[in-house]
Amino acid sequence: MSKLVTGDGRTHIESSLMRESLVDRRVVATTDSDGEFAILPDVVLVGLGGQSIFDRGRAAVMPLVEELKTLREARRAATERAAGSDKVKDPPPMVLGVGGGTRVRHTVSVALDLGIPTGGVAQLVGAMEEANAVFLNALLAKHGSIVMQREHFWELPLYLESGMLPIVISIPPYHFWEPPPEDGPLPTHGSDFGLFIHAEVLGMKKLIFVKDEDGLYDRDPKKHADAKLISKTTLDELTKHMPDDVIIDRQLFVCWQRARHVEQVQIVNGLVPGQLTKALAGEPVGTVITRN
Amino acid sequence: MHSAKRHERRRISSKLADATLTTGGSPEGLDYRPVAMMPDVRVLKIGGQSVMDRGRDALYPILDEVTAAKDKHKLLLCCGGGTRARHIYAVASDLELPTGVLAALGGYVPRQNARMLQMLLAKHGGLFILHDDFEKLPLYFRLGCIPIMTGMPPFGYWEKPTKGGRIPEHRTDAGVFLTAEVLGCKRAIFVKDENGLYTDDPKKNKSAKHIPRITAKELLEQDLPDMVVERVVLEYMQRSRFCTELQIVNGLEKGVLTRALEGEDVGTVITRD
Repeated sequence: MSKLVTGDGRTHIESSLMRESLVDRRVVATTDSDGEFAILPDVVLVGLGGQSIFDRGRAAVMPLVEELKTLREARRAATERAAGSDKVKDPPPMVLGVGGGTRVRHTVSVALDLGIPTGGVAQLVGAMEEANAVFLNALLAKHGSIVMQREHFWELPLYLESGMLPIVISIPPYHFWEPPPEDGPLPTHGSDFGLFIHAEVLGMKKLIFVKDEDGLYDRDPKKHADAKLISKTTLDELTKHMPDDVIIDRQLFVCWQRARHVEQVQIVNGLVPGQLTKALAGEPVGTVITRN
Repeated sequence: MHSAKRHERRRISSKLADATLTTGGSPEGLDYRPVAMMPDVRVLKIGGQSVMDRGRDALYPILDEVTAAKDKHKLLLCCGGGTRARHIYAVASDLELPTGVLAALGGYVPRQNARMLQMLLAKHGGLFILHDDFEKLPLYFRLGCIPIMTGMPPFGYWEKPTKGGRIPEHRTDAGVFLTAEVLGCKRAIFVKDENGLYTDDPKKNKSAKHIPRITAKELLEQDLPDMVVERVVLEYMQRSRFCTELQIVNGLEKGVLTRALEGEDVGTVITRD
């Protein structure tokens, strides 16, 4: 039982951090350890591109909806089967997220022109991503999807346990409190980063980003016909030779450097049927980025 | 197979329609002149360990100064955590929980403190507000209220992992600074139990000298193992657009807070340049 400690005008609770400055590096170091508890380690987070998938409408979205439906059914069948049966091919439990797409760009463009401060811009953009989450939920509802509101963070295990397809809000809740960017006025904590941090805090090992390119290229393949696909790389390599145009948020890679759980980020082409299924089965389609 | 041609992206044309939003820098041709939303608000941080954990003796006189000033200034009170937050961080670190969980758990304590302040200030218009109420600040001020909120930013589970430890890097100092920054305030005032910054810990070394003014850069360059405010705040100050000054005042000394609210450079002022 912890006891209360007085004598310096303050009332403390006895703990290893009592009276300490939490800014002191030496104190912060005492809270470190090699291990970290993984909350939901077997879940895979799947991020669907806003601009790359959603803004393409029915032709791009509906085949993915079908694929997700099939994956979810396979997952349910796997959980209902007796333990110990052959489940090598069973898809892992997954959580979905969606980007905001072109409306985010339009929002930012108008907001910056109006002189909205960076935190204000960050506060605004999330609405477009939430709208896409609602779109996706409308399409997947009969296949068991549910939009997980932030305040229902701890209901995630319930959704997964009952075989549902949770769709999380991708933008991180930095809102008005978005830190000043290193360069320029644009908020840097976007939806890819948000999904990454969501996976990381829950101890997930793998994220899959579904975009409209076969993966990560050394240059923007939409602008350069001779752009080369990078099918396999590591975080270190990528950090050393970061392409000018990256298909996912830079902040994700910065954060990954200090992450403890996420081991792999895979980028696949959602316009190619079956790529997501293959990626979930562990096949190295698209681009596979590993931490080491 | 490359089917991109089949279904074009339905785009809204804008200056950023083709831009990669995450590479940083200013979009071409943009003349960005951000507006200061409420530059006359005085953003005050009431320390957790330094003020709240001291109880009535420390807090009541501070609240007297707050209520005396409330009709003259728009005051936004933000709370620190203190010893219960330390207890949470210690227990959670022992359990090897991720930083994001620590940030979410650590958020409970400043909220409790904010609620306590609200109860004490209710008869003077003290209002407990959530992050989601932020856009109603103009109304609260127009009504003559004293909005009171947690100092923690709303990052919670989305807080980044901490290098070399588990304690979240964005805690109440960062939250208060970012609050001032987005409101367009030049200065945030931190009410603590010391007269600001000293050459050494004045609680342990009586000959420590007071530093009335210092730049964020100087502080960072000294690379001291301990620091008067959260490191990220000093980093962010180098690139903030509005909040370029932090003032740390001793709330235990009568009248100091009132003088700070009048714009006097009491305590220590940390400036960007």
